[in-house]
Amino acid sequence: MKKLIEHFSDYPMVENDQHNYTRYRMGRLKHQLWLHNRKRDEIILDTHDKFILDNLKPGNTCVFGSAGYYFEEVIPNLTVIEQWPIVKKFYPKAQIIEDRCEIAETNGRMFDNFVVVNNRGDIWTELSVVEKHIANYVQSMKPGCLFFYSFRDTQIVNWNRLKVNHKEYFHNFGLHIEKTYNLNLLWHDIRFATKQKDGAGNYDIWENPDTTNGNIKFVFEYKSKTKNIN
Amino acid sequence: MDPTSKKIKIVKPFALYKWAKNFKRIQDRFYGNQYKLRRIQQIEDFITLNNFNKVHHIEEVRIDLELSPKIFTNNISDTDLILVTHQGYSRYPCIGIIEQIQEWLKSCPKLYICLNRHYLNIDNSNLDMDLPDDFQKAITSWLQKSLKDCVVMDLSRNYVDYGQHFTWSLPDRHYYIVKK
Repeated sequence: MKKLIEHFSDYPMVENDQHNYTRYRMGRLKHQLWLHNRKRDEIILDTHDKFILDNLKPGNTCVFGSAGYYFEEVIPNLTVIEQWPIVKKFYPKAQIIEDRCEIAETNGRMFDNFVVVNNRGDIWTELSVVEKHIANYVQSMKPGCLFFYSFRDTQIVNWNRLKVNHKEYFHNFGLHIEKTYNLNLLWHDIRFATKQKDGAGNYDIWENPDTTNGNIKFVFEYKSKTKNIN
Repeated sequence: MDPTSKKIKIVKPFALYKWAKNFKRIQDRFYGNQYKLRRIQQIEDFITLNNFNKVHHIEEVRIDLELSPKIFTNNISDTDLILVTHQGYSRYPCIGIIEQIQEWLKSCPKLYICLNRHYLNIDNSNLDMDLPDDFQKAITSWLQKSLKDCVVMDLSRNYVDYGQHFTWSLPDRHYYIVKK
């Protein structure tokens, strides 16, 4: 009989490139876009990607933990930073870090845009820890830097979904970040599934909107409030 | 690289992954297929030790129960246990989950259901300030309050799930619900 397992850390995982690539891909959905686009004459982007592109400031852009190399052909002066060494194997230009504090240590305060799209490494934790991640990102932002941040509510941990108003909970988080880090909240889009019975009396089984980019989306501007988000 | 001259096509966000049904098998390979998820063993033991012989299993992710195929039936009306591991039902609104449970219990008075805690109240439509502050206890309390004509037994282990408990291989909150 096989031994029983309950938690990732109960036993050591296989350690090889194939395994690390699979785990990385499972958590970085936009990697699929890169695989698709690099072999074709046409680039596919989704509407959230276009929203980001349409609103970026001129200058240096960092995409962290979001398979950001899929933006390479459309964003000039792009820095892609990841925490998985396997990324170097297929995208050698990526910066690989262990701790988020290395982003500013390595790059200084150089970014005019900082983008995090549904980074699996940022979530699966409490909002208080997400806040600590953001505190690290801020250290690499120039004044005026735009900060695009999105994630999924279903992968935020340790809150009571049956007692806490979801919309207030995440909006208040954005307001807290604004107040605490001099990040002016320019725009937000917080959406949850709307469930109605179909003609047969059944509900759909779909998730919250935009599981790829995250259904909780914010745009902040560091130390200023000059940008109109379209 | 310089910005592209390629044509750019904008599409609505779409599901970029296609491994849902094989998710558990992929996670099994993380460990060289050497280990078995405890919650799967729990289900097998529950069925075996309680002598259920006709089980109607509603699944999405293939959980590969190691039980005789003979005990499974496609006929939901002629079964002695309905087993639901399909996490799509956790994405129903709370009222829809309760209605669906009641519907299943009309076919069979014994139900073993696995719910994914992270999806519950997905549409933010069911807030009850009288429930316990502990989310896990609140789930049990919500089911018990909503299914007054049933016995609801919580068969789950309690822990904070930081995404490392294989919840998408097999949902984490397990309930045995019997019509009184």
